[in-house]
Amino acid sequence: MAEPLSQVVASMPRRRFVALMALFLGPAVAVYTLFSIWPLLATMGLATYASDASGGYRFVGFANFISLFGDAVWSKPFWNALTNNLIFFAVHMLVQNPIGVVLAGLLSLPGLKLKGLYRTLIFLPTMLSVVIVGFSWNLILSPLWGVAQGALKAVGLGAWFAPWLGLPSTALVTLALISVWQFVGIPMMLIYAALLNIPDELVDAARVDGLGHLRIFLHIKLPLVLPTIGLVSILTFVGNFNAFDLIYSVKGALAGPNFASDILGTFFYRTFFGNQLQLGNPTMGAAVATAMFFIILAGVCLYLFLVQRRMRRYAF
Amino acid sequence: MANLRVAGLHKSFGSAKVLSDIDLDIADGEFVVLVGPSGCGKSTLLRMIAGLDAPSAGDIFIGGKLVTALAPAERKIAMVFQSYALYPHMNVRKNMTFGLKFTGVAPAERARRVAEAARMLRLEALLDRYPRDLSGGQRQRVAIGRAIVREPAVFLFDEPLSNLDAALRISTRVEIARLHRLLRATIIYVTHDQIEAMTLADRIAVMSQGRIEQAGKPLDLYYAPANLFVAGFIGSPAMNFFPAEVESVAGGEARLSGAAMAPLVLPADGLAKGAKLTVGVRPEHLTLADEEGFAAEGVVELVERLGEASFAYVRRADDKMMVVEVRGRETPEPGRTATFRAPARELHLFDTEGRRIKGAG
Amino acid sequence: MLAARARVAAVHAVLIAYCALAIGPILLVVMNSFKARNAIFGAPLAPPSAATFSLIGYEKVFRASHVGVYFANSLIVTLVSMALVLLFGAMAAWALTEYRFRGSTALALYLSIGIMVPIRLGSVAILTMMRSAGLNDTLTALILVYIAQGLPMSIFILSEFIQQIPRDLRDAARCDGVPETRIFFEVIAPLLRPAIATVAVFTIVPIWNDLWFPLILTSSDTTHTITLGVQQFLGQYITDWNSVLAALSMAILPVVAIYVVFSRQLISGLTAGAVK
Repeated sequence: MAEPLSQVVASMPRRRFVALMALFLGPAVAVYTLFSIWPLLATMGLATYASDASGGYRFVGFANFISLFGDAVWSKPFWNALTNNLIFFAVHMLVQNPIGVVLAGLLSLPGLKLKGLYRTLIFLPTMLSVVIVGFSWNLILSPLWGVAQGALKAVGLGAWFAPWLGLPSTALVTLALISVWQFVGIPMMLIYAALLNIPDELVDAARVDGLGHLRIFLHIKLPLVLPTIGLVSILTFVGNFNAFDLIYSVKGALAGPNFASDILGTFFYRTFFGNQLQLGNPTMGAAVATAMFFIILAGVCLYLFLVQRRMRRYAF
Repeated sequence: MANLRVAGLHKSFGSAKVLSDIDLDIADGEFVVLVGPSGCGKSTLLRMIAGLDAPSAGDIFIGGKLVTALAPAERKIAMVFQSYALYPHMNVRKNMTFGLKFTGVAPAERARRVAEAARMLRLEALLDRYPRDLSGGQRQRVAIGRAIVREPAVFLFDEPLSNLDAALRISTRVEIARLHRLLRATIIYVTHDQIEAMTLADRIAVMSQGRIEQAGKPLDLYYAPANLFVAGFIGSPAMNFFPAEVESVAGGEARLSGAAMAPLVLPADGLAKGAKLTVGVRPEHLTLADEEGFAAEGVVELVERLGEASFAYVRRADDKMMVVEVRGRETPEPGRTATFRAPARELHLFDTEGRRIKGAG
Repeated sequence: MLAARARVAAVHAVLIAYCALAIGPILLVVMNSFKARNAIFGAPLAPPSAATFSLIGYEKVFRASHVGVYFANSLIVTLVSMALVLLFGAMAAWALTEYRFRGSTALALYLSIGIMVPIRLGSVAILTMMRSAGLNDTLTALILVYIAQGLPMSIFILSEFIQQIPRDLRDAARCDGVPETRIFFEVIAPLLRPAIATVAVFTIVPIWNDLWFPLILTSSDTTHTITLGVQQFLGQYITDWNSVLAALSMAILPVVAIYVVFSRQLISGLTAGAVK
């Protein structure tokens, strides 16, 4: 993009240029600012207020945040939600990404037949609504229907079965695995695309050098797609900390059992809108949202400074 | 180093026949160039020798051993790719030693080989650099270095100079010739450039449409091309072709006539009356001087002056162009009609199928 | 050679196993939606036979909910949002790529923040804004929000595409004296057709499947989208297995059908835009 500005454009009268830019950039910037950036800033501003007796708002500075992090009424669910979110994220990183890498690696093997069919099928769950996915799995795993139980029994693992979604100890991880099931298509496709980008001659050179397929994957292909895996990781992070739909669909706003599956998204929703147990509290909700924003921001900055700097995108 | 033999090789991709009946015998230490236009199958043949693709039929022997079913690593070959194929995430040293690690070469031996190759190719200062920090010529040398350290029985080069600029191409060509002498290596080299072929090869195999048209020493191909294709491919600018017919045969001599040439008398040598053939004359053998033998008249349309040699493009009587090489400062003027002659011994004759009837020399 | 064949077989085995895991649950749900209740429980893994075939669930869904309305709403919201995201996004991407002015890099950076930062976090203020603008419980509110959500990623993708367009084309148009706006709409825009597939993948699916904003911004039944409608139906009829399975299948089948038809474009769109 370092080419000189066209003479026609450079010699345009300033007023016309500004009008032109306003035409092209105006709509996008306006909508984006009005409905993305401004609400975010307004929310952060709102977080510094609290409702008073008359129903209006008064400025309270960081009081909401102090309550959020320290006051037992708010901080207990907050830290619970945050911890759960981290577990949620960990499961994705440990299960989703390796599976995505392996599937992408298998699909990128040269000469594989039916490649398109496999890709289409594996990506199918990603297209579905989370509501559908959540509910379907809820049914399948439900002891009432017995499908999962029957399937496990068929392979001799019947004793393993438990109403995982209903137990506080396993609900969160089960939901995380359902989310992995749905979304593994995305890292798979991104890594697959990156693997395709590796020139064939490089693989040929490695074959001539004496490497078998597995070694080629581990020593040549994998290091070259690490930047993509990094990208996938940060997208997973942002997505996980934004997650709400799945938990809500399966467990409702209360994210049971006993808040075991509560993550920041559901906590935010509950705080803002209220539910059977509490009234909606917009200012605290705003505080939660602000906290979420900074957590996500921290993660992204960490990624950009630590990971991005080390990883080089290789041009071929 | 070892010899290499390809016997009865065929390759089809689906219904497309890419290589037909390839037979090639390469002696130990020989430099053989596979040359031909795009799509002739030369790269496919090379990949098959390397073991990267499997033939549909036929066998390959390296050093007398049957290798057709063996993986590339088991064939004791090394390959230099057109785009160098250096591992971008490894430095030069690692690029060169990477393969050796997996074939069980001890670290001390690896270090020795790298040092030796680096010295040969003047890469010592670059060993810790990464491919992205190297120029095209440097990358090419690293690719060659990677091949050398494998101490293979056969070196395979796949159009290694195509991505280099003109000056670099010449200096690298000299480099490769030097390495061949130094290592006494068996080399199979693929290129579409017939000048590279002529200058580097001990023997050339000219390929077209999946077949070897002719294999032999460069000058043999130049003086005695086996068919029209080889005659037109070897030599730059290409040979001029004149369609002709045997008008009469009498007293051991045949009289040939053609639309674009003056009547020509040659020893009969098995030529029959009424036979149609093609007469071939190289631009460098046509001259304005008086010569006994061949003559063709035409209008000079364009003269390209390159210094000592110039090329005149002449419109013939049959409206096609012929190219004449003119030496010296005196060149014919455009627009002028002139007669160009060539001695009979420099003529090539080809039959209706394009096969050689008579060669030059 | 045999080792190679065994390897290929193993690869296919793994892929087939995973595919079964991927579509098994979906097949199960759809299959059972066509069965009578006792067949669902009695033999869940069996496909519907003549004896067990039943459309009772589907009838209930159509009777008890405004499925048609939900579907229409989703369609309107998704298509309008997509169209405007493409229009605004292409114009912005063009302006940022082509005309470099002071602050254009900053502006580009500003617009790309939205890729990383989730728009949901500002929901508190969005809801207030919509209420005071009288747009509460309208499809317009959803559309505006989805445009804002989709712009950053699509501007990013479209910028990459625009950079691929040969410079000669617009230089030639300029030499011919074509005004700048016409250059964009008549020279550049038609060339962006391949980009539509990529942008579509990243915009349509999240909008269609979104639960959050319909939940927050729409209250009356007539403005619900299909995703929200299905979710609420499920919540309401949770013990009515026939209806539940039918509702799920009705939500699954259109998406699957469109996906299967357009899968090649979708996937190439995803891989094309994603290798950044």
